[in-house]
Amino acid sequence: MIQMKTRLHVIDNSGAIVVECIKVLRNAKWASIGDEIVVAVKVAKPLSNALSATNTNKAKKGDVHRALIVRTKKEIPRADGRYIRFDDNACILLNNQKQPLGSRILGIVARELKEKKWVKAISLAPKVI
Amino acid sequence: MRLEKCYFCSSTVYPGHGTMFVRNDSKTFRFCRSKCSKNYKMKRNPRKLKWTKAFRKAAGKEMAIDSTFEFEKRRNVPVRYNRDLMKTTLLAMKRVTEIKARRERAFYNQRMATKKDIEHSQNLVEIEKNIHVIATPATRSKLESERLSIISKSMDVDH
Repeated sequence: MIQMKTRLHVIDNSGAIVVECIKVLRNAKWASIGDEIVVAVKVAKPLSNALSATNTNKAKKGDVHRALIVRTKKEIPRADGRYIRFDDNACILLNNQKQPLGSRILGIVARELKEKKWVKAISLAPKVI
Repeated sequence: MRLEKCYFCSSTVYPGHGTMFVRNDSKTFRFCRSKCSKNYKMKRNPRKLKWTKAFRKAAGKEMAIDSTFEFEKRRNVPVRYNRDLMKTTLLAMKRVTEIKARRERAFYNQRMATKKDIEHSQNLVEIEKNIHVIATPATRSKLESERLSIISKSMDVDH
């Protein structure tokens, strides 16, 4: 249940660590796993030096990006009738073409992404549950 | 479809029931019902709650070590369907449950063997302590005189 002002962990290597949801991109009050949202970067990795910054840290504090929710604390129903919940609310950042901004995903993601056709995110993830 | 075991109470989680919690290190916990899920959220230890299997086994209330438990195990190797194998498996399952039930019965009987004597002695103590509640005045005086006579007799023997 991600809504305005919800803070999420970012689990890719885009450079952002914590983001805040500023818009849910669907006709509902809240977003869930596999939904797209607009976020503002609240905490980002510090820029170590100018050269590497261009390659690794694509997101800076204050940036506004699209993001894809990959885990939620609120349990979500599965097709087999079971409910599944995770430890935290997490997302990955997306670019304007709806492709992941980072090149790697660090951490588990939910299988629901596959059903919602986020193929790239699924292929990057180390483990899909 | 697998029949999973509840992480908290060790009961079977049937398809369509319960919830699954996935920790960030990707360890999954299955719960059979909200009771177990909530107790887990409260960080309770299943070994300390009397209604869980973990407690009952740890406290010696149930059979914990037995060869029949070896059959019910998570096997991650898929088995190709074979009619004969299925037939023998079904027969074996029946037989194993039978043996298991018998052993559990024996375990229970063994556990309860001393219970009768303990209860009997406890009851006697209770009656002796609270005799005034059940006895009529006549019997009470009779009991008292009996008691006195026993004491005096024993004293005589001592002398």
